[in-house]
Amino acid sequence: MDTETSLQNGESLLQPWAVSTVRPEENRSDIVIARKDLHDAAQALKNAAWGYLVTISGLDAAAPAPLEGQPVVEGNLEMLYHFATGYAVLTLRVSLPYNDAVLPTICDLFPYATLYERELIELFGVTVENTPDTSRLVLPDEWPEGVYPLRKAFTGFAAPAAEGKE
Amino acid sequence: MIGQETNQKFIVPIGPQHPALKEPGHFEFAVDGEIVTGASVRLGYVHRGIEKGAEDRNWTQNIYLLERICGICSHVHNTAYVAGVEQLAKVEAPPRAQVIRTLVAELERIHSHLLWLGVAAHEGGFDTLFMYSWRDRETVMDILETISGNRVHYSANVLGGVKFDIDDKQRDMILKGIDFLEQRTHHYMKVVTTDETFLGRTRDIGTMTREQAIELGAVGPTARASGVTIDIRDSAPYAAYKTFPINVITDENGDLLARFVVRLKELYDCYRLVREMLDHMPEGELTTRVPRKIPAGEAVSRVEAPRGELFYFLKSNGSEKPERVKVRTPSLCNWATVINFAVGHKLADIPMILAGIDPCFSCNDRLIKIHRPNDTQVWTWEDLRQHGIEYYR
Repeated sequence: MDTETSLQNGESLLQPWAVSTVRPEENRSDIVIARKDLHDAAQALKNAAWGYLVTISGLDAAAPAPLEGQPVVEGNLEMLYHFATGYAVLTLRVSLPYNDAVLPTICDLFPYATLYERELIELFGVTVENTPDTSRLVLPDEWPEGVYPLRKAFTGFAAPAAEGKE
Repeated sequence: MIGQETNQKFIVPIGPQHPALKEPGHFEFAVDGEIVTGASVRLGYVHRGIEKGAEDRNWTQNIYLLERICGICSHVHNTAYVAGVEQLAKVEAPPRAQVIRTLVAELERIHSHLLWLGVAAHEGGFDTLFMYSWRDRETVMDILETISGNRVHYSANVLGGVKFDIDDKQRDMILKGIDFLEQRTHHYMKVVTTDETFLGRTRDIGTMTREQAIELGAVGPTARASGVTIDIRDSAPYAAYKTFPINVITDENGDLLARFVVRLKELYDCYRLVREMLDHMPEGELTTRVPRKIPAGEAVSRVEAPRGELFYFLKSNGSEKPERVKVRTPSLCNWATVINFAVGHKLADIPMILAGIDPCFSCNDRLIKIHRPNDTQVWTWEDLRQHGIEYYR
């Protein structure tokens, strides 16, 4: 199946939930969906055996510092679920507000998504509801709670007081 | 990631130091006598914060940073990244550069598969095979050093092309080396498929069916050994793979033996590809002009690393540094297969099952950078010595 047909098939599968659909490149389709529809949309792709889940990329779209006199724009997190078959890459984009960064799990559909969801939990501070495992995957045991390194707000720790072991 | 229940069983912790491989990872295997009944994994011991670090460096510096994600498949990381940036900048590297990129990638695959053959043989207690295969691997390491000047981080790519050309003398050297390696690979194929003792360690061990491989999201040779036809070089050819198509090697058996056979057969295909590329090297420039400013946008770049599909997602905000670099490495995908297939095997088989996916820990562990603005980065010998004394007190 050629790339164009694959993408069209994928787009029509996701039609019921798509808030908007753009083609950033000829082999890619970005489909914005609401968080509540994520599981249904992923289910549709799985049922139709449309490619496989490559990974979930987290993005922190932090708002730029407001110009003088302008209202403060609220930033948000964005989770990108990349599916691929051949050249075609279909991305489900889900926006999450900072104060309510909660996602439904898709591990029941794609068991291997557990590692990607654990990455989001640790590195972006997203809560993934009903995900099978939330234990630490990559960060050190002594990493402080509530510090999410891939958020733009994280710019490093202050230098520790000089002492023997670090 | 927990396969079946781990409660009320005897748990054998393995690692983080030296869990069969010379890299850190921690596993907990619940056992009932000799038989594994549950398994879990903890990674992160060589986590270096590269994705965060990449947001703090410019587009050119990142070529060198991302190449250092892995010391085995450095070139393929580099290739995925530059291909992504070239997409963003809307430029294409010239044909000769594409072929040189592909050539180095295949030489890298040869070195990686031979390295794996040695490690896997070592885990199986077959150290003679380990030493022979690593001796022979030096041939391809010498080739890489001759053409690039480096054994590990070849730094072949720049944005818009490659750094070095292949001249006739180097061409002859590569061909001679490849002939030798092909003959050796025939020997290794005979050894791993006929040596009864070794077959006892690999035949029907860690068997994974095609359906299971798909369900668990396996990639690369691990998936292909279970009959899944998945290879980015074939399904979404990049660089010069369109002009020089590969043969996708698969096997139906899905056991450890099949993973040996698939990787060895892939070596034959690498040799064929390298010869074809050297025979039909297009003439022309090595680089093309890349705009100084990388326009805002997003790019997805997928390549086939020696261990499977490597995925890069790049986001540019139009400034000189990337907004986000996301790397999904193949080893991460294959962990699920180990955790699942450990269950039901003897504990003694675990090192081989682990080695069977050719895991690369530095692949997985890369995201966090600890940035201490006030921390001095230059230590004198006396500082270092003092630190060492204090640390081990």
